[in-house]
Amino acid sequence: MTSHRLPSLAGALFVPLVAWICYLLLLIPTLIVFPISLGNSAEMEFPPSNPSLDLYRQFFSDPAWWGSMIQSGIIALITTVLTIVLAVPAAYALQRSHIRGQGFVQGLIMGPLLVPVIVLALGLYLQLGPWGGLNSNLTLVLSHTMLAVPFMMLSVGASLRHIDPALENAALIMGASKRAVFFRVVLPQLASGIAAGSMFAFLISLDEVIVAYFITGPDTQTLPVKMYSAIRWEVSPVIAAISTLLTIVSFVLAIAIMFLERNQRTNTG
Amino acid sequence: MMDLMSQNTKGQSPAMTSPAPMRDTKEPAKMMIEVQNLTKQYSDFRALDHVSLSVRKGEFVTLLGPSGSGKSTLLNLISGMTAPTSGTITIDGTDATNMPTNKRGLGMVFQNYALMPHMTVFQNIAFPLQVRKISKEEIRRRVMDVLKLVQLEHVADRRPRALSGGQQQRISLARCIVYNPSIILMDEPLGALDKKLREDMQLEIKRLHAELGVTMLYVTHDQDEALTMSDRIVLMRNGRIEQQGSPAALYFEPETVFSADFIGSSNLFSGKLKTVDGSKALQIDGAALSVPQAQSASFADGSDAVLLVRPENVRVGGQGAASAEHNSIVATVKDTLVLGGVVRHFLTLKGGVEVIAQDLNQPGMALPSRGSEVQITWRNEDARLLPADPSFSKKQV
Repeated sequence: MTSHRLPSLAGALFVPLVAWICYLLLLIPTLIVFPISLGNSAEMEFPPSNPSLDLYRQFFSDPAWWGSMIQSGIIALITTVLTIVLAVPAAYALQRSHIRGQGFVQGLIMGPLLVPVIVLALGLYLQLGPWGGLNSNLTLVLSHTMLAVPFMMLSVGASLRHIDPALENAALIMGASKRAVFFRVVLPQLASGIAAGSMFAFLISLDEVIVAYFITGPDTQTLPVKMYSAIRWEVSPVIAAISTLLTIVSFVLAIAIMFLERNQRTNTG
Repeated sequence: MMDLMSQNTKGQSPAMTSPAPMRDTKEPAKMMIEVQNLTKQYSDFRALDHVSLSVRKGEFVTLLGPSGSGKSTLLNLISGMTAPTSGTITIDGTDATNMPTNKRGLGMVFQNYALMPHMTVFQNIAFPLQVRKISKEEIRRRVMDVLKLVQLEHVADRRPRALSGGQQQRISLARCIVYNPSIILMDEPLGALDKKLREDMQLEIKRLHAELGVTMLYVTHDQDEALTMSDRIVLMRNGRIEQQGSPAALYFEPETVFSADFIGSSNLFSGKLKTVDGSKALQIDGAALSVPQAQSASFADGSDAVLLVRPENVRVGGQGAASAEHNSIVATVKDTLVLGGVVRHFLTLKGGVEVIAQDLNQPGMALPSRGSEVQITWRNEDARLLPADPSFSKKQV
């Protein structure tokens, strides 16, 4: 009896306890910026002595700040579009056809997940420098796309596995061209996978600081890079407000991804 | 129950009352599909081995066989989903061996329906018409016509997922006939349905075949389905055609032990042929059976042979001594099952050989008690002598 009860007791109390401690340890640093962002002094203070929205006002009135926010948004958006254009056909091709060296191509695409970002960033810096590719929106978008593609591949690949290949054969037999099969049979069914992958891509580009720090310059600085510089040179409390805004964006997108994935499971399951 | 039955017969009445229109009785039969020496070799497995087959216009041909016999491979080669290793395929007079799938002008119905989950029923059926760039009004008219034909007009705006298996398969049929393909391929279309629904759908498919005059190539592993529906059955085994012919020919005149065993239920007695008193007899464990003499002429004395007797031809409790036209043996009753309309007796001969006999059930019928000895008889004209097949092991009944 006791030997049965012990693991269930541990399961009922111990595991959730540990889990909650972990959650809190992860959450508190994120959540603490929220009260700080309501402060109004020239320095960060916790808890704020006189809560207000001054820091947000400060953020939106300084073009240097919201300018880099717009820059980040545009870079993230273009990265997302490019990631879709590259990764969706690639995922389809890798899953449906039998190309020579398929595993190698797959590994190459997934590679950026395994290499430490700092190594990638340094490599890109050293490579792009002599080519004059630093401080350029194009190389920034390409670098972020490289980081986002594996996530899109995973997300679209999971959706693809839910599609019955017989549907594509059926469409072909009914006289549809391969083009029509892709755009009218496959693509509509990948919609939720692409949407989830897009949110990943957008978030990855929006939050990415290391690669952007290495290869951007004064004209192409993204918001996270600007924040990082601000911490080093001025320690402006505005950062708390920006962090809160970024957290909200990430949170909303993460919830949306969860919702999409659940939706997909119930739709195709 | 009665209500349901009467409704059903009403629903099926078109198939019952309107006879199939006569087609191609005068003009020479046109070949819709001609397959020659078709072979499909996978690295270490020959799925199809030099198969040749012709299907006439308007014919209903069934490819029947156990799994792995090559029937689905043949269908996939004809549809173009896989490429043959060697051999040729001709569809409606045109060489189609290397033709892309979407240019072959075929229709196909799949076991798992293959309806597009992201489209409504209407959009699903409209899809092949849109691919053919047909005008919107024309599409609307034809989709509604075909929905009427399968009696599912009311589900046009639903998603396939919201329909029952039988309804989905009828939609899949509708999607296939809406663009009038001259050939319809069916890959175990009723495999996922329960028995009652399967029988209804068999009639529905037969009705559509008769009304549309379309050529059908139907794949199944279900012999009852093949016997009910086909003009011709092509029985396949290990990538080859074992035997082909009308359902009656396959049932009454099987040429091999495999055919005899696969189609219908059968008693197969294996033994050696010996000449006794000028006529051949089959020596089995503990008994000698007389065989149809005309058929035995082609067998050498002492050769291994198999005697096929269908259970419905074995009489239990019959009279009369064994003769050249008649077998009469003592058997022990192991079990008797009453299966509604029929009664099935399981018996053993003295040497331990098992025999199944089948009778029509009748009111007040006296059933032999278990363990009792009875006389079983059959006429030699109902039996069939087949060459022994060493590679064949009888499936468990």
